[in-house]
Order: sequence, then structure tokens, then C-alpha cells
Amino acid sequence: MEQTNIPETVPSETAPEPVSPPVKAMKEKDIKSVSVKQRVTKIFVQFVLYAFLTILAVSILFPFYWMLISSLKTLTEYNEMIPTLWPKQFCWDNYVTAFTGELDLGRLFLNTVIVGVVSTLLSLVVTIISAYAFARLEFKGKNLMFGALLATMMIPGELFTITNYITVSAFGWLNTFTVLIVPFLVSVFYIYLLRQNFMQIPNELYLAAKVDGTSDFKYLWRVMVPLSAPTLISITILKMMGAWNSYIWPRLVANDAAHKLVTVGLRGTAFMDLATNMVNYPAQMAAVVIVTIPLLLVFIFFRKYIMRGVSRSGIKG
Amino acid sequence: MTKEKTEKPVLTDEQKRIRRKAIFNRYKAWLYLLPAIVILLIFTVWPIINTIRISMLRNYDSMQELGGATFEFGFGNFAAVARYDKFLTCLGNTMLLTVITVPISTMLALLIAVGLNSIKVFRKAFQTIFFLPYVTNSIAIGMVFMTMFQMIGRVESPVSLGIINTIIEAFGGTRVNWVNVGSNYWANIAVLSIYIIWNALPFKILVLLGGLQGVNKQYYDAAKVDGASRIRTFWRITVPLLSPMIAYVVITGFIGGFKEYSSIVGIFGESMGPVGNKGSLNTMVGFIYDNIQQNQGRASAAALILFAIIFVVTMINLYVSKKKVHY
Amino acid sequence: MKVVLEHLTKIFPSRNKKDKNAEVVAVNDFNLEIPDGKLIGLLGPSGCGKSTTLFMISGLQEPSAGKIYFGEDDVTELSPENRGIGLVFQNYALYPHMSVQQNILFPLQNLKGENRLSKEEMLARAEQVAKLVQIDEYMDRKPAELSGGQQQRVAIARALVKMPRVLLLDEPLSNLDARLRLQTREEIRRIQKDTGITTIFVTHDQEEAMSISDYIVVMKLGVIMQTGKPQWVYDDPANLFVAKFLGTPPINVFTGRVEGGSLYIGDEKVLDVGDVEDQEVYVGIRPEGFILDAKGGLSCKVSGIDVMGRDISVVTTNENALSPVVRAIISSDEMKNVSGEVARFKLKEHKVFIFNKESERRVHFGAQIAAHEKLVAEMQAEGQAYTTHEGALPREADDKEKRDAPVAEEKKGWLAKLKDLLPKKKAKGAEGPAEEQPAEDKQEDAGESREQSAPENPKSEE
Repeated sequence: MEQTNIPETVPSETAPEPVSPPVKAMKEKDIKSVSVKQRVTKIFVQFVLYAFLTILAVSILFPFYWMLISSLKTLTEYNEMIPTLWPKQFCWDNYVTAFTGELDLGRLFLNTVIVGVVSTLLSLVVTIISAYAFARLEFKGKNLMFGALLATMMIPGELFTITNYITVSAFGWLNTFTVLIVPFLVSVFYIYLLRQNFMQIPNELYLAAKVDGTSDFKYLWRVMVPLSAPTLISITILKMMGAWNSYIWPRLVANDAAHKLVTVGLRGTAFMDLATNMVNYPAQMAAVVIVTIPLLLVFIFFRKYIMRGVSRSGIKG
Repeated sequence: MTKEKTEKPVLTDEQKRIRRKAIFNRYKAWLYLLPAIVILLIFTVWPIINTIRISMLRNYDSMQELGGATFEFGFGNFAAVARYDKFLTCLGNTMLLTVITVPISTMLALLIAVGLNSIKVFRKAFQTIFFLPYVTNSIAIGMVFMTMFQMIGRVESPVSLGIINTIIEAFGGTRVNWVNVGSNYWANIAVLSIYIIWNALPFKILVLLGGLQGVNKQYYDAAKVDGASRIRTFWRITVPLLSPMIAYVVITGFIGGFKEYSSIVGIFGESMGPVGNKGSLNTMVGFIYDNIQQNQGRASAAALILFAIIFVVTMINLYVSKKKVHY
Repeated sequence: MKVVLEHLTKIFPSRNKKDKNAEVVAVNDFNLEIPDGKLIGLLGPSGCGKSTTLFMISGLQEPSAGKIYFGEDDVTELSPENRGIGLVFQNYALYPHMSVQQNILFPLQNLKGENRLSKEEMLARAEQVAKLVQIDEYMDRKPAELSGGQQQRVAIARALVKMPRVLLLDEPLSNLDARLRLQTREEIRRIQKDTGITTIFVTHDQEEAMSISDYIVVMKLGVIMQTGKPQWVYDDPANLFVAKFLGTPPINVFTGRVEGGSLYIGDEKVLDVGDVEDQEVYVGIRPEGFILDAKGGLSCKVSGIDVMGRDISVVTTNENALSPVVRAIISSDEMKNVSGEVARFKLKEHKVFIFNKESERRVHFGAQIAAHEKLVAEMQAEGQAYTTHEGALPREADDKEKRDAPVAEEKKGWLAKLKDLLPKKKAKGAEGPAEEQPAEDKQEDAGESREQSAPENPKSEE
């Protein structure tokens, strides 16, 4: 019934007054002016867009630029009233000072690399086998345990630090490499990330391997790990970057020269001339450059993996 | 006993092997999880319990406890912390920085992401540049920021103005004592905010851009056909469609903001304030670390308060975004 | 509103800048005049450029060459919002966060200046269109809470609410199930009649196009093969492609030859064709063109009979047929006469089409010549130019893509192959709309998404 009604009522109702300019026929002049306007707007929008992005990109880059040129200025030039935008002469000595001076960058690097490599390797092993257990093995209380694990991610790390400090002091671990490696060996987030990856690997592969008599362990290393390589690379890089950038915990528990990490050393007072209370900023900037460059190199080569890992984590390092 | 003894010899070697394997299989998962469990028990589970415990013990000291001392139970630590000026300063600083930086950086990141998503030429180059702050050491670059804002020499008659003040004066402004001795609190906060936003942008841009690229391009075609202007498209299409990502970015932003610490160390050093005004810019996390060696009860109470704040803020965020976030 | 397309051409640049040959000519010198108030079906197989044509009419894609006129206005340079079109997307593209009402209101809310309506007017108008498409009960629902058919109506309502000059529909029925499809196409027809808006819709389903269009435009590889009323095109195909593309069951094609005024399939003389030059030909016989007759010229081996109710379909084979089976549809009364291994058929002259083997172009014969002339005259009388494709018919490029495909396949390493086994991650980023297109249209979309997503989503996962 309704169907028959509609043809009668609707055309008269919908058609009456023209609403929008498109409905009215446009004069040729209008079309011209509209299309010109369109084009101008388009160009203008593009211009504004690029201008906006360029200004912001420059603001992002400027500190890097400033760090580089400051590291190449002589102390006298650095201390000029109006800072120069380009060093009058390159003073590479600042870099020599950074390595040979009180800071002992070489030692800091060595410490950081030891901690970074060892903690990454151990952490990878622990993460892989834990993720495997959660992804492939059946056991009582699996879901409960996984849920509990995820729940700990909500708690800010500072809550753990107090007791952990007490614990490691009691263990006598202060000022050792152990204290820098062990407490952070297990990252719930990485286990979660890898478990998700493992779960995507079709069960058929696992069953096929079982039929062939492959052991779980062999299957893990021969199939699961290679297939999850991208995630593992992401984890490796983020973990390494974490070691490189870590400050708070190392500052607290390993502040002696033999175990000091690079960031801790950098923030110290190594460039302060205690007599005059003046800081040798160019040398300090040289040290900052040296600390920053490896990170940028890693970024250039592993951009994809870093971004992949980061977009899912929301944590730095 | 005797029954078992008589049964055992009946098992062949093969059966024994199978039986051993079955037992092994039953516990295999736990074997795989053993390292993680041990470490988590010591460094995650125990701290949760212990931190709650010592937050309620008066004048707690771990060394004394090892020596056999006992401590009075009570909520004194919380009361003390809440009345403690230094803590209130830290709380205020933290909140202020969070409230300033999260909205600004989110909005800026959203604009940049939309901008990046709508250009073709140089897009990858821009994307790379905008991600750079992420792969830096926040202490190290904080030191660079400090040198940019800092004047050298006495503030009244500086030896060097620093680049930022030079730029300001070049545009006809008056120099500002950003970070030196006697600098104004709000100037300090401005510098910190700029640095924190600079630092926070990459992650937000990354997430939002990823979200934008996941938006079906047809919605934009439809909006074009429907005659929506760019601004309207942004508010009516882009923002609602991105709302899950925006909520995510805001929540992580708040959590990060409440844990702010190292950017302040980067700029002001461990004094957590300009020279002569030590601790004026300290934060919650800074407060916890300051007390970790001397007054663990107070540190624990502060940590729990921090946790509570983060928890509440996250819940509020989730609640709001549940109402506002579409699908 | 009359729509005229003049020399419309779209070339998608190759993704690889160095390889010029990889550019895709999606639409090639397309000329068409669409009369006011008609429903036009753009019809063709995947990759024939029909969607690209539609998007160029909408203004969402810029033509590489050629002009588009709405009435007398040259709208080639105008952006979509200034053209006054309504567009229904294949996946509807309803804004998921807006209610049905908000979706329909959205185009009205974007009007500016003197065209801006008061709030009440907007609501009234939205209500009106919603009634027209019979969706007014669901105004407060979100798109996700509607069925496919309902979503489609909302999409149509949103396209209609601004009273467009031209309504464009991109594969409007492809996401609906069979039952809904039938119902909805009638609905579209009704709405189009009610509003009188010139409507262009794209489909790869010939039955759909035939059933509701005033005119159909059959396309292949970016080129118009034939236009006209559906029945005309069916009855008088201009070339082998059109003959093969229209009709279910499809036409039976044989190789044959014309010799001394007679048409031969194999050694059998099947029809007298009068004044036609001797030549090698393809012979197309509609399934309904067979008459069972013991004295008929064409003999086929019977392999089975499909009973379809009123009619039966005799499934046979013939060594000169291009397809493995030859289907003849005859009245079920004749079933008893189908016996033994061989069936002999006489042919209905007007259901037999012959095509030159070289050009694949139609060769009219006998009474067909007069019938054809009559159709052309009728068409001109209606103001619709009779269009068929001039010049060499496109075909060679057809296989090119097929040739390219396996190469890409082989380049994959074993690990990549293993990864193919993994369940695909949910559409996150990059791919965009192309992802949701049904498989049949892949080829075409490859061309389109090439422009749409390639330069803008360089976030490639390479």
C-alpha cells in the first residue's frame, strides 16, 4: 500500500525549491570562477600544510643542529654574547676531551654495551620460552596467570623500585652489573607481544612437526623463532635502546666508575671546572653527540622495527 | 608400601620412559616459565606486597629491619606525605606539567599526523624527522635544550645570551631568564613543557598516523561528495574516527606525564630546579627517589599515591572515552 | 540532467617510475551521451574501467583527458561538491560514528551561505528522503546496527538528500545477498523513477544491468563495446564480446565458415545466410535459438538434460564449440524427442550471430540486416546514438595481467610462502578501501587503488 503512495507524494515534495547551487544550472562564468577558486584553495592549502610541517620539522631538528655545532665550537666562541650559527672553526678537540677527560666515555660505553648485550640476550631467551609456554602449551591456570601478568603492566615501575632497592641492597648487588641486568630481565609487555605473534602461527605447522616427531623445543627454535623474527628484532632494538637510555635505576644502584652507565655519567659533573664553577659546554655537547649518534644510526637502519614495536607499546625504551 | 614394591618391577623400561615423559610433559610448561616466574616473584610481586606493607610502617628502615627491629603500624606515612610541603610541590608540578603538555602535544600530533597523511612529496622525510626525538636519550637532549635557553655568566650582565634569547631579541622581544639563577617558576615550566612536548610528539604522531592510514579512504571521498569543508571533515570525520587512537594517546600521555622525571633531570640536573632553588621543579617520581634511601616508608606512601592517581585518571579517561569514543 | 562524456580518458601512471609500460589505461577515449532522467548501467567485466568512469563523473578522480558536461555545463574542472552529484559507494561508506539521521543530514549541514537551510528544513528534508527509501524507522540507529540492505538505503538517502543533478551508484548490489539484491534493484528502479534523477550505476552483473537499466553501456578494457536498450543489445550484439557477455546461460560459440551463402559449422551446413562474403567466422547461437529437428543441420552429442521446469536445457558437446558444452534450451514438451546419442538442431535465424574471425565484429545476414537498421533508426528517434566500438577490438592486453601474476608469485621465498599461511592481520592501515572490494573486481581496483593509495601510503611494509 505504502509503495503505491510514494510515487505520488514524493516527487512533488522533494522536487520543489532548488536547494543547493549544484541543482541550479551554473553559468559558464560561475563554473570558471568556481574552478579557479578551487584551484587557488588547493594550492593555498598545500602551501599552508607544507609551511606548517616545515616549521615544526625545523623546530624538531633545531636541537640536533645546535648540539652538533655547539660541540664543534671553541669554548671562547661558545661563550660569545650572541651565539654563532656556524662554528668559525671546527674544534675537534672537544671530542678528544670527551673521551679523555674526567668523563671517561670509553669506560661508560663499555659498561653500557656489556649491560645492554647481556640483558638483551638473557631477556630474549626468557621472553621466548615464556611466550611459547603461554602460546602453545596447555597447563592449569594458564589464563589466570597470563591475566595476572598483564595486570602488573598497569602498575607504575616506581612502586617496585623502592622494594627492589631494598632487595638488591640486601643481596649485596649494589654496584655490580647484576643489579643492572637481572631485575628488568622479564618484560611482561614483550612476552605479551611475542605470544600474540606466536599465536598467529597456524597450529597445523605445530601438528605437522609433532607428526614428524619434532620436539617442542626444536619446533620452537626452528619454526616459531624464525617466523617471529621481526618482533624479536623489535624487542632486541628497544631493549638495547632501553639500556642505552636508562638513568634512574642505574643512578640509584650502580654509581661507581666501574659500573656507571653512559647516561648517568653524562648527567654528572664531569665537565665542570670545580675551581671556577664554569662548565665546558662544547665538550659536554661533544659527549652528547657521541651518545646520540649510535641511537640515530640504529634508527636509520632499523626504522621499521622500531616503529612497529613502539606503536604497540607506548613506553620508551 | 609393599603393594607398590611388588608393582614396580612389573614396569618395563619402555613403560618407565613413557611414564617419565608424561610426568615431564605435565610440568613442562612450568619449566618453561620458571625463569620468568622467579624473577617476577622477586622483583614484581614481592615489591607490590612489600611496598604496601612498608608504607604502613612508621619510620621504616630496611637496614634496621634486617637487624631485627620492628616498626609501628599506622597510616602516618600517608598523613605525613599529604601534609609535607615538598610533596605537595612535587604533586603540583607533576599535575601542572601533565595538564599543560598532554593536550598541546596531542593536538599538535593530530595536526601533524593529518598533515602528513595528506601530503605526497617529502612525506617520508617529514615522517622520519618527526620521529627523531623518540630515538634520543632524554637526559642528553635535555642538556641540549638547557644550553639553548641558558644564559652564561651573571644574569644581569651575561657573557652569552643563549640562542633562544638571541632569537627573541632579534624579533624585538626582551630576554627572559629561562633557567638561570633566580629564574621565574613559570619560565621554568615553559621550558620544561616545550621539551616534554618535543619529546612526546613522535609516539603520538606514530599512533595517530597509523590510525589515519587505517581509516577507510572512502569516508573522505564520501565527505568530499557531501561537500564537507576540510575543517568540517577534520572535526566531523577524522576526529571521531580516530577517537580510539586519540583516547589511547591521551591515556598513555597522562600516565607518562605523572611519571615525568628524566626530562627535568636533563634540563635542570638532579637539583630538580634552577641553581639556588633546589627541588622547586621536583616531581612525584623525583620525590620517591629522593626518599628511597632515607625514608622508605614515606617513599612507599608516595608511590602508592602516585599509583592511585594514575589509576583514577586512567579510569576517568576510560570512562570518558567510552562515552565519546565511537565504536 | 543530461550527462555528456567526451573523449574521456584515464591513465594511471605506473607505480615504478622507470617502467613506462606499466601504466594502465583504465578508460580510453570514452564518448557517451546520457539522456536526462534515465537509468544507465555501466556494465563490464573486472578491469573494464567502469568504476573509474563513474569516479571521473563524480569528480573524485581527475580525467587524464576529455570533458564531462552536465547539461551544458562543463564540469570537468569542478570538484565533487560543486558538481551536484550524489554517490553511493560499493561499501556504502556510511560514517560509522553517526546515526542514520546524522548521516543523511551531513550533506545538508555542509551547505553554506544562501543555500544553508534552517534546522527544521534540514530535518524535514532528511525525513522526506528517509521515507522515500523507507528507512525512516531507523533514524537513530548507527550503521553497524543495520542490515546490508538498510545500510544501502541510507547510502542512497544520503546521496539524494541534496537533490543531486546526477546520482551515481558504484556496484550498489554487490554486497547484498541474492534475495535482497532482487528486492533492492527494484527499489533503486522505483526511487529513480520517483525522483527522475539521471542515474548511472556500475555493475559487473549483466542480469542486474539488463533488468533495471533504461540503457546499458557494455565496456571492455576501458572502451565502450556497445550501448543501447538492454533488449536491443541482447538481440543485436555488435561483436563477439558483447554477445558472450550478455545472457544466461551464455551464448554458445562455435568456429565455422561462410561459403557460397551458407554457414557451416564443421562440415555441417547449418543455415543459409544469403549475400555474405566467404570468410572464417565465429558462430554465436543463443541457447534459445535451437529447434530440435531430426532433419536439422547441426548435430551435437547429448551428454545430459537439465530440467528447469517449463524448459529443459539439453547439454551437448560439439567439437567445433569453443566451450566444452553446448546448451540448448527447448520446451519441456520436446523432452521425449531427445533420445539416443546425437541430437540434431535447426536454428532460429534471429538467434544466430556470426562474427568475422579476424575482427570479431558482427556480420549481419538475411533478415537481420533489416532488423538492425530498424533498431538503429528507433534508437536515433529516441535521441540515443547507436554506439558500437569502432576500430580494432581490444583484446591482447587482456592476458597481460595474467601473464604478470605468476611471476610475482615465484619471486616469493619459502619464508614468505609460510607467512602466507598465517592468518592475515586485521586491516590495519595501508590498504584502505581496496581491501573490502570483492574479489571479482580486483583487477579494476588494482588500477584505481594504485592512484588512491600508492602515493599516499608509502608506509609500505617492504
